[in-house]
Formats: sequence, structure tokens, C-alpha cells
Amino acid sequence: MSEPLLTISNLSVTAQDKPILKSASLTIGRGETHVIMGPNGAGKSTLAAAIMGNPAYEVTGGSMAFGGEDLLAKSVSERAKSGLFLSFQNPVEVPGITLENFIRTALEMRTGKKIRAWNFRKEIRRVMETLQMDESYAERDLNVGFSGGEKKKAEILQMLLLKPTLAILDEADSGLDVDAVRTVSRGIEEFQKDKEASLLIITHNAAILSALSVDRVHILVDGHIRMSGGPELIREIEESGFARFEENSHE
Amino acid sequence: MQQIINKPLASTFGWLHMNGTLLEVPEEKEQQSLVIPSGEKKLLILDNDTAAEALTAEVEEGALLQLIQISRPGSRQIRDIRVRCQKDARFEWYRLVLKSGEIYDNLSVTLEGNGSSFQAEIGYDLISGSHLDMNCEAIHLGKNTVSDIHSLGVLNGDAFKLLRGTIDLRRGCQGAKGKEFEDVLLLSDQAHNQSIPVILCAEEDVEGDHGATIGQIPEEVIFYLTSRGISEEAIYSLMARSKLEAVIRTLPDEELKNSLLERESL
Amino acid sequence: MSEKTVIQDVSREFYDFRYAENAAYKVDSGLTEAIVRQISEEKKDPEWMRDFRLRSLEIFHKTPMPDWGPSIEGLNMDHIVTYVRPNTQRMQKSWEDVPEDIKNTFERLGIPQSERESLAGVGAQYDSELVYHNVREEVARQGVIYTDIESALHGSYADMIRDHFMKLVPPTDHKFAALHGAVWSGGSFVYVPRGASVEIPLQSYFRLNAPGAGQFEHTLIIVEEGAYLHFIEGCSAPKYNVANLHAGCVELFVGKGATLRYSTIENWSKNMYNLNTKRALVEEGGKIEWVSGSFGSHVSYLYPMSILHGRGARSEFTGVTFAGEGQNLDTGCKVVHQAPETSSYVNTRSISKSGGISTFRSALVIDRKAEGSKASVSCQSLMLDDISRSDTIPAMDIRTAKADVGHEAKIGRISDEAVFYLMSRGLSEEDARAMIVSGFAENVSKELPLEYAVEMNNLIRIEMKGAIG
Repeated sequence: MSEPLLTISNLSVTAQDKPILKSASLTIGRGETHVIMGPNGAGKSTLAAAIMGNPAYEVTGGSMAFGGEDLLAKSVSERAKSGLFLSFQNPVEVPGITLENFIRTALEMRTGKKIRAWNFRKEIRRVMETLQMDESYAERDLNVGFSGGEKKKAEILQMLLLKPTLAILDEADSGLDVDAVRTVSRGIEEFQKDKEASLLIITHNAAILSALSVDRVHILVDGHIRMSGGPELIREIEESGFARFEENSHE
Repeated sequence: MQQIINKPLASTFGWLHMNGTLLEVPEEKEQQSLVIPSGEKKLLILDNDTAAEALTAEVEEGALLQLIQISRPGSRQIRDIRVRCQKDARFEWYRLVLKSGEIYDNLSVTLEGNGSSFQAEIGYDLISGSHLDMNCEAIHLGKNTVSDIHSLGVLNGDAFKLLRGTIDLRRGCQGAKGKEFEDVLLLSDQAHNQSIPVILCAEEDVEGDHGATIGQIPEEVIFYLTSRGISEEAIYSLMARSKLEAVIRTLPDEELKNSLLERESL
Repeated sequence: MSEKTVIQDVSREFYDFRYAENAAYKVDSGLTEAIVRQISEEKKDPEWMRDFRLRSLEIFHKTPMPDWGPSIEGLNMDHIVTYVRPNTQRMQKSWEDVPEDIKNTFERLGIPQSERESLAGVGAQYDSELVYHNVREEVARQGVIYTDIESALHGSYADMIRDHFMKLVPPTDHKFAALHGAVWSGGSFVYVPRGASVEIPLQSYFRLNAPGAGQFEHTLIIVEEGAYLHFIEGCSAPKYNVANLHAGCVELFVGKGATLRYSTIENWSKNMYNLNTKRALVEEGGKIEWVSGSFGSHVSYLYPMSILHGRGARSEFTGVTFAGEGQNLDTGCKVVHQAPETSSYVNTRSISKSGGISTFRSALVIDRKAEGSKASVSCQSLMLDDISRSDTIPAMDIRTAKADVGHEAKIGRISDEAVFYLMSRGLSEEDARAMIVSGFAENVSKELPLEYAVEMNNLIRIEMKGAIG
């Protein structure tokens, strides 16, 4: 395994006083692509939210380190600036800010440098083209009136422009039509071209994984990571579902 | 001489002190009177620092008047604008108040001719010491007339803003549609916002619609933005800038629009 | 639908009966100090109340008429006889003792029925005096006091009344509050002790039966910590040619964590000037629910006001106003947020018909110290023809950044498609329109106890069709 980037140890997380994650552990190395799979309600999105620091979730035990630094001690924007990115399952609408403006500002915050509007416009349009996203979305208010597929594309667009060290994709393919799934796949492929960048893909079905190179797969059931293994686990899930892992219910 | 200016068509409770403003109005003020002849189009830019200015305009059949009115930082201005639209005429008002001092605006548009229309895009960015007092009214007389008043803004420091917006649907204006929408972002606890969106209606076959959203940025929006690395302070100035930009983008003059966009993004 | 059906003027037969005047005692017309003293003596007021009345009279004379609402020029104070007492002894304990003609009035309004249907108690006001009063045993056992305010003033609650009387609506509030302070007469006093939950709604009726008589009743309700009460105020009056004035006052004190629901159907006859002031003060965690249907009066000024005084206090206002021919109803709601985490919700509907004028007038004030407050105002207006008016004048004054305020208003007409759809199912056009308007007023009718909802729908049908049924 290459140099560890994200280390999660015995993490327990509750939402509204209900325990969801119960002592989960995993490690992601630089340049690796990991997948978390599990049935609905297992705690996959909770894990993603906890890594990002969503205030609606409370960490009740365990620790997390990113790039060698304690993640729990950082605010949400600090975590983002240190190289974390979360693509939301259902991105919120933000009227009043254009998609373009938003990404440019986020980039400026990250690099600490001003970015010329004109230069950025070229770059954003270039990436939008690779994603086959209509150019007009750049000037539309962030996610406002976007269909499910368009929202996901906008999330992937942001991922490609912000260039995080670890991108977490939460159900990036759920509710999408075939065309949108293809776009999202293409976006992920594009992202993986950077060999130093890591990826954590959360999904409950394997459709989007077929074209990607995956290093490690974790099975999350009932708040615990029941099993970690190689990409062959994906085929097993496709064929027999999660039944095997749900039976062994203690840890 | 002391006058009551910015008096709305309909009053609210006396104890709120929002019915008109008593102000010292200078005797000498600029007066302009225009007629936009039938079928023609005129773009007028009012971007000066005159203390008091009055403008009346008659927009004739099928003509279009676009008025861009900008108040720059620190300025103190009193403006009184009255426009009358004939059949199928249109008046567009683009109003930007950029960190100004004291602004008193009275705008009255009479949609006399059938099919005439009025659109207002108002954007303001107010800082400590700013005082914005506005009365904007659209009087629908003709049939199928349309008005749409849209205002976005930010209040910082101890800024004060009072917007009285009136859509007056008078008897006979069948088929008219009046719309008024306001979005105000308050960034400081010393800021003071007053809004009176009024609809007066004496006609059955019309549509009137108004809405106002005043307040802060929702929690989940803050989380989304911070998760992309934008700090909380930066979020507020980003939202403020965006509101103003949204209005700037509607300006029908490319050069002015671009120069303002450049200015605002710095 | 190009052809409008001719909708008859309101048939008020159901309410427009009247009885030969039978008053035992009448005060000279016109408002002088002598008259106020006379009233005070008649009522055997304690000294402080007499002084209060005189002070209020002074304030009344000094205060100008309001200049921002409908004209009340038709109201000539010199012709208002402010105090009339019917020919019967005070405070009847049982229904059997009440004189026949007065009983008939209430019978037609259905009060005995309500009594039979196990309501907790009824205070019926007839010509400025409480004639009939009966507090149900269960309610009394809970420690709940429901009595007429005048006897409470002379009894063990004198101090409580003194501590609260016109503290929420002081005589300086406006001219007609001052008038009220000078000549107030009759009304209800309700006290709900800590933790008591009054399951059955308490009700009160008002009645006006003498020419030129004015109604100045005062309602004072105190709901202590954690208690619950639903109070229903419903009223009716016959029609006269001489101007009638209603300048009542309602003061509601809602304690910590308590809930008070105050429902009203105002159906004063079409020559009444209804200048009523209602106000609630809500403490920490308390809640006031206003349910208000305004149908009658010639001119109305009616804006129930909620003062959210304690942290987390809440106010909900649901109202409907129907302005028909000859009516100018200026109604609305006022809310002041004075503490953090308070919330208010306003939902009103208004209907204008046959030249009626309906104005929705509101004020929402959010103080600097009301951080974390939320306010939402929604008003919808329905215009039934092109000779009526519907105006919406909402004012918002926000002085803190940490508040969320949403406001929306819509105005329009009955949709032709809706009428067509109902007609295609067999309804006549009149019925279809009446049904649509009833549906429009549902925001209020669904909050009322069944018999009130029925009365309200009857009122709407009368207004729309000219007859019930």
C-alpha cells in the first residue's frame, strides 16, 4: 500500500442521537481508488458526511487523520482546503450565485490567488465540454432548477476544477439515466489520470464501477466495515448481494 | 424647502413611520423631460452626482425606454422619476446603488396604453452609513399591462433601507399582471430593513403576485459552500457580490456592464 | 363565463330581527365627564377604576382620529348612546330566569343548543351587560375562573384585574382604546391556573339591540404556565339606520409554555363601525393561535396583535375576511418579535364582492434582540367582480440579521376552469362559485369547532347566493 492519505480508526457516528456508524476503520493511500458498498441504511452516506464534517452528524468515538493531520480538529472549509472533496448525493440549490462564480471563488480560496475571469471561463468551458455539459449552465444559479443528472454533472465538474487530493463520491450514479452515468464515469476517469489523486466511491450498486480501475473494496453493513478486499468483491456483490455479510452480525 | 417625498399610494399604520419621508429638498434641481417617439428605442444612463434631479418621460406607442441609474459610493441624491407608457410601450429601469450615502428615489410609472409594460431591476449594496429610501409604483390603467419589480440587495454595518413597492391595478385594466419580488440579505445585526410590498386591486380579471425573502443564508447552503473550501466570512461576501452581479448582468449596455462586473469582482 | 349571475344582496333575515326597545336606563348622548362619572357610579367602580375612566376620557379628547384607514366620518360620537342596560336583574344563574324576548334572541342564535352540547359555559352579553352566565362545574373544579369582568372587579380577583386591565392595550394606544377605557362596560374575565387544560372551548356571545347603542365590552384572559384554553367569541347584531359602534378590547396574557386559542366569527350587522382592539402577550415557550372570520360591519378596523415577549414564543394567525356591498373591512394582523427564537405564521384569505372593499393590513416587526426568529406571512385575495376592491398593505421592519422572513401575497379571481369543472359534475354556476369560495375560506373553517364552521359556511352561502340551503 502506498503512503496513507486518509486513516479512519474505530469511528462511531450518530445522527439525532441514533448511532449509525459503529467503530468503522479504513485506510486510503495516495493515488488509490476505494469503493464502499453496502445495503441502504448501512451508514455509507454518514461516513462521507462525517469525513467532511457535516454538523448534522456527531462523532462519538474514534479518530480520523488526513495527510497526517487530525481531521476532527478542522472546520469544514479547512478540511476542503486541505484537499478533501465531497460530491453530494443531493446537492442543495443556491440561488444568487452562478456555477461559474462559485467554482472560481472556491479556487481562489484554495490557492489564495486571484483568478482572472476570462482565463477561468476558458478553463471551465473546456472541462464542461469533456463532460458534455451545456455551456449555459456556467451562468445559471448553482443547482437551481437543475435536473438530477445535471446536478451530478455539476458536482463532477467541480471535482475536476478544484482538483482535490481525495474526492468522495456519494451515490454519484443513483437516479441517473444511462447518458448521465456515462458522463459521470468519464469524469471519474479524467480525475483518475492524476496518479496522486485518491478516490472514495460510495455506491450500493455496481453499475458505475465497470469501467473504472478499483484498488480496494469495503463492505459496510449495519455501521461496521465487515470486509475489505480486492475488486473481485464487486462481482460477488453483483451476483449474490450483501446477504453473506449481513449474516455475520457481530464484531 | 421641506417636503414629504416618497409618499406611497396607500399608507400603512402611522406608528411604523413608513408613510412618506419629510426631507429638505433643494430649490434648484435638474429637470429633464423626454419623449420617446413611436416605435423608437432609447437608452439613457443616469450616472452622476447631482444632488436633486427630476425626470419625466413619455414613451409613445410601441417605443422602448431603458433607463440605467447608478449611484456611486458615498453619494447623496434625491431623484424623482415619472414615466408614462402609451400603447405597447415599455419602460425598463435598472437601478444600482453601490455603497452610496443617502439615496431618495421616487419612481412612478403609469401604464396607460393597452399592452404597455414596466420592468424594474434594482440592486443595492449598502454599507455602514448608507441610507436608501425608495418608493416605486406601477399604476395599471390599460388592459393587458404588465409590471415586474425585482429587487436584490445586501445590508452591511448599520445600513438602512426602506423599499415601498406598489402595484396598483385600477378598474379597467383587464388582463393585467403585476409582480413584485424582493430578496434582502442582512449581514450585520445593526442593519435595518423595512419593506412594504403593496398590491392595490380594483379589477377582477388580473393577476397580482408579490413575495419577499429577508434574512440569512440557510444552514445546508453554508455547509455545501464550506465543504468546497469557502470560509464562512467569504460566503457572506460571495452572496452579497452575487446578488449585485445578478442585477448588473441584466444591464442592456455591454460596456457599462463589463466595467461594473470587473469592479465588483475585485 | 361571460354572463355573471345576479347575486342578490345579503338576506339577513336570519339575524335581522329586533325587539321593541325595552331599556330601563339610558345615559345622555354625547361624551362628557359627567356621563363617565355617571357610568362609574352606576357600576359601583372602585376609585382607581373611576380615575382610570376619567384619565382615559381626557386622552380620548386629545387623540386625533386615524388618517390611514377607511373613513369613519359617518360615526358621530354625540349620537352614540354608550350605555344601555336591559330590563332585567344582573347575572342570571339559570336560563329559565331570563326574560322571554332576550331568550328568543339567543334561541335563534342557538345558544341553548350549544349549552346542551356540553360546552363548558356561556357568557351572553345583551346591551352592554352580562345577562346570563353559567360556569360548568368541571371547569370550576379545575380552578378555572370564567365570570363577567365587572363582578370579578368587586370580588377576589380585583387585584389581578387591576394588575392587567389595559396594560396590554393602554388608553394611549389610539383614540378608540381611550374611548374604551372611559366607557367600557361588561365583558368576560377568564383565568386558567397553572397546568390546567380546559378541554371544552369557552364561548361568549355579544348582542346589540338598541338604536345607537355602542358595545364596549372588555375581555381579559390570563392563561398561566403550561395551561391550555380555547376561547370562542362569536357575535351578531340586527341592522339599524343609526350608526352603531363597537369599540371592544381583548387582552390575552399567555404564560410560559401555555397555549391559548382565540377564535372569532365577527358578524356585526352592516351599519356597525367595528373598531376593535385585540392583543396577546406571549411569554417564553407560549403560543397564541388566532382564528378569525370577519363578515359583518359597515366599516372594520381589526388587527389582532401578538407580542412575542419570551424566548421561543409563537403566534399563529388564520383569518378570512368577506367584504360585500357597502362594506369596507380593513383587517389584518400585527406581530412584534421581541425575544430570540420566536416564530410567527400568518395565513389570511380575503374575498371582495358587490362593491365591497377588503384591505389586508399587517405589520411585522422583528427587534434587534430577536435572533433566530422566523416569520412567514401568506395572504390570498379573491375578487369576485370588477366593482369591488382588494388591497394588500403588508409592512415589515427587520432589525436583526439572524432572522428568516418570508412573505407572499396573491390576488386573483375564481378560475373559470374550476367553475366549469364543478358545473360539469352537475352544480349550478351559483353553487359552483359558492363552493369555491367556501373552499377558499377553508383555512379558517377547518380550525373552528363544527357548529362555527357550519355558521361560517352559511354566512358565505348567504353572501354568495342570498339564502341558506
